[in-house]
Amino acid sequence: MPEAHEILEVSGLSVDYVLPQHDVRAVDDVSFTVDRGEFLGIVGESGCGKSTLLFAVAQLLASPAQLAAGTVTFKGTNLVGLTDKQLSAIRWCDLSVVMQSAMNALNPVKSIGAQFKDALQAHGRPSKQEIAARSAEVMRMVGIDPVHLKSYPHQLSGGMRQRSMIAMAMLFTPDLIIMDEPTSALDVVAQRALMMQIKELQQTYGFAVIFVTHDMSLISHFSDRLMVMYAGQIDELGDTRTIFDRPLHPYTQGLLEAFPSIHGPRVPLKGIPGKPPDLAMIPTGCRFHPRCPHAVERCTAIVPDLYPVDGDLVRCLRRKDGTLPDDLGAHLARTGRDPMTELLRADHLTRHFKPGQDGGVTR
Amino acid sequence: MTELLRADHLTRHFKIGGMMSRRTLHAVDDVSFSIGEREIVALAGESGSGKSTIARVLARVYKPTSGEVYFEDKPLSAIRSRRDGLRYSSLVPMVFQDPFASINPVFRVQHGILRILKLHRPDLPARQRLDEAARVFTVVGLGTDMLQRFPYELSGGQRQRVGFAQALAMRPKLILADEPVSMLDVSIRIGLLNLMAKLRDEEGVSILYITHDIASARYVADRLIVMYAGQIAESGPIEDVLTTPQHPYTQLLLSAVPDPMAPLSQVTDRGEPPKVVDPAPGCRFRWRCPLAIEECTAVTPALAELRPGHEVACHVAQSGADVKAFAS
Repeated sequence: MPEAHEILEVSGLSVDYVLPQHDVRAVDDVSFTVDRGEFLGIVGESGCGKSTLLFAVAQLLASPAQLAAGTVTFKGTNLVGLTDKQLSAIRWCDLSVVMQSAMNALNPVKSIGAQFKDALQAHGRPSKQEIAARSAEVMRMVGIDPVHLKSYPHQLSGGMRQRSMIAMAMLFTPDLIIMDEPTSALDVVAQRALMMQIKELQQTYGFAVIFVTHDMSLISHFSDRLMVMYAGQIDELGDTRTIFDRPLHPYTQGLLEAFPSIHGPRVPLKGIPGKPPDLAMIPTGCRFHPRCPHAVERCTAIVPDLYPVDGDLVRCLRRKDGTLPDDLGAHLARTGRDPMTELLRADHLTRHFKPGQDGGVTR
Repeated sequence: MTELLRADHLTRHFKIGGMMSRRTLHAVDDVSFSIGEREIVALAGESGSGKSTIARVLARVYKPTSGEVYFEDKPLSAIRSRRDGLRYSSLVPMVFQDPFASINPVFRVQHGILRILKLHRPDLPARQRLDEAARVFTVVGLGTDMLQRFPYELSGGQRQRVGFAQALAMRPKLILADEPVSMLDVSIRIGLLNLMAKLRDEEGVSILYITHDIASARYVADRLIVMYAGQIAESGPIEDVLTTPQHPYTQLLLSAVPDPMAPLSQVTDRGEPPKVVDPAPGCRFRWRCPLAIEECTAVTPALAELRPGHEVACHVAQSGADVKAFAS
C-alpha cells in the first residue's frame, strides 16, 4: 500500500460543552484533512471554536467539553476512543502541541532542561548523555544557545520562551505540530522572527503544522491552506493566496478588511459590526446573517452547507448561486488600486513648443 | 498647534538586584517630546523599550529620576496637594491594556463612572451624575442600558469602551492609552481605533497611544515616536516617518509588519533588544544594526532634525548617508 498522503483526517467532528441548563455545541460538524508537511492556518474571532477544535484533534478535551460525534484519523489510526495509555504513545512522539502562553505552559520552578528531561523520560529510557545531546540539539534547531537549558522560564525573553516551547514540541521529531496562537504575546519583530523560524524548521524536518490565530495577516505568507471558522463551523476553506486575493465568504472579507495596512492610502475601516453569536443561542439560517452586509431573507431561513466554489469550500447561499455582490470597491481600496478615485488620467501626454520670433509661440 | 504636555530630558531608572546591588536598569533615558492639543501621538517600540514606563511617569505613578514633565507649562513636580493631584489625574487619565483586569468585577459598570464623577467633578449635583454617565456612554458607542451591566456580561471590546468612558467622564485633555487594543480581536480593534479618532475630532482630546502595532498607529495617529531600549530612535509626522524611515530600527520594525498584500520581505533579524543595565555610551541598537560604524560604539547619538519635524538619533543618518538597513 502506498504511503498515505494525508497525515490527518478529521471527519464530522462535533464537540459539546455539557452544561446543567443545556448543552452548547462549540464545534459543529467540522471536516478537513492535513497533508504531510502541510501548513494549515485556522483563523476566526475569539469564541468561534478554534481552540476547542484543536483540543479535540489532540484528544485533550476535558469536562465539561465532550466529543459528540466524528472521527480523528491520524496516520491511519482513529484517535477517538483510544485509552490514555494508547494515546500517550502517539502524543509528543508523533503529534505535539504548542500552547498559547509559554509563560503559563512552562513550569516556572523547573529549568528548561529539566522539563525537556521529563518529556524524554516519559517516552523511553534515554541515558543522561542522550538527554543532554538531544536537548542541546533541539535548542540549536530553534536558534537558542544550549546554555539556556539551565535557565528558568522567567530568565528568558518572551520570544525565547516561545521558541523553547517549539523546541520541546520537536523533541521526538513529530509528524504534526499543533500551534495555538504561539505568537500572540510577542511584539511584531519577535513575531516575525518566530514565523520565519517555524517555516524554516518545517521545510527542514517536513512536519505538518496546524496554526491557529485570530490575526489573518500574520499567516498570509506562511500557510498553504486556510480555514476560516465562525460560530463553531467552517465558513471557508481553501488555498491561502486565493482566499487573500478573492475572499468568497462575507465574513472572510470582513476579517480581511478589519486591519489597517502600512501601505496604500489611509482609508477609514469599519471592521465587522456586532460580535460572534452566543453558541447557546445560534441564529436561524446562516449563522453569520445578523452581521452580514449582504444578507437577504432566505439567509435567515435556510441553513447553508459548505459549497464548492472555484475549488474552495464556502458556506454561503448567495455565493453558491452567484448572487453575492462582489465587494470590489472596498477590496481594491485595500490593495491601493481603487478605480473609483481616478478622475482624470493623462496617458503619454506630450506637448512641445517651438520658440518663434519675438519670443512668441508659433505652430 | 498649542503644546499641551512636554517631557524634558525625562529619565527613569530602577534599582535591580538585592539590597546591596548597585545595578540600575535604565528604563527611560533622556527622553524629550511634546504632545499638542487635539493630537494623537503614537509611542511605538518592542516590549521592554520603556513605553509603559513613560506612560506611568506621565500618570504620576512613578516619579522621574531626573528631567521634568510640563503640563500646560506647569511642572508636575510642583503638584503637592491632593487637590492638585486629583485635578491633574482627571485631566490626564489612563486607559489600560487588559479590559478584563481593569474593571472591578463585583460592581455594575456604572459604579466606576459614578465614583469618578463624585471624586473628580464635585461641582456636578448628585442627581445629574447618572445623566452624565449616560452621556459619556453614548459618546463611546455603548447603549445606556449597559450602565446596569456587570463586566462579565460585556465583550472585550465593550469593556475597553467602558475604559474610555471612564476616562472621558473626567473631561480629560490627554488620555494615556497603554496598548488599549492589543488584547482585543482583530475584528474589534478597528471600532476602538475609530473611537479614539472620534474623541480627538469631536471631543478635542489628545491621546498618547502606546502600541507595538505600527499599522494601527498609522490608522489613527498624527505623529509617531519610535522607542528603542529606553531612548527615542526616531520621531515625526507619522506618514513622513513611515514613508521615509531614517533610523535602521524603524526600518526593521516596518519590515516586520505582516502585510498580506505586499510580498514577504526577507529580513531575518533574530536579535533582541538589550537589557539596559548600567549602559556604556554608544548607540543601543548597534549590535543589531548592519550599518554600525565606529562612532556608534563610542558616542550615544542625539536626536537631530533631518526633515521638517522629523528627528532621528542615528550617526549614519545624520552624516547625510542614505540609510537602507532593512528593506520593507
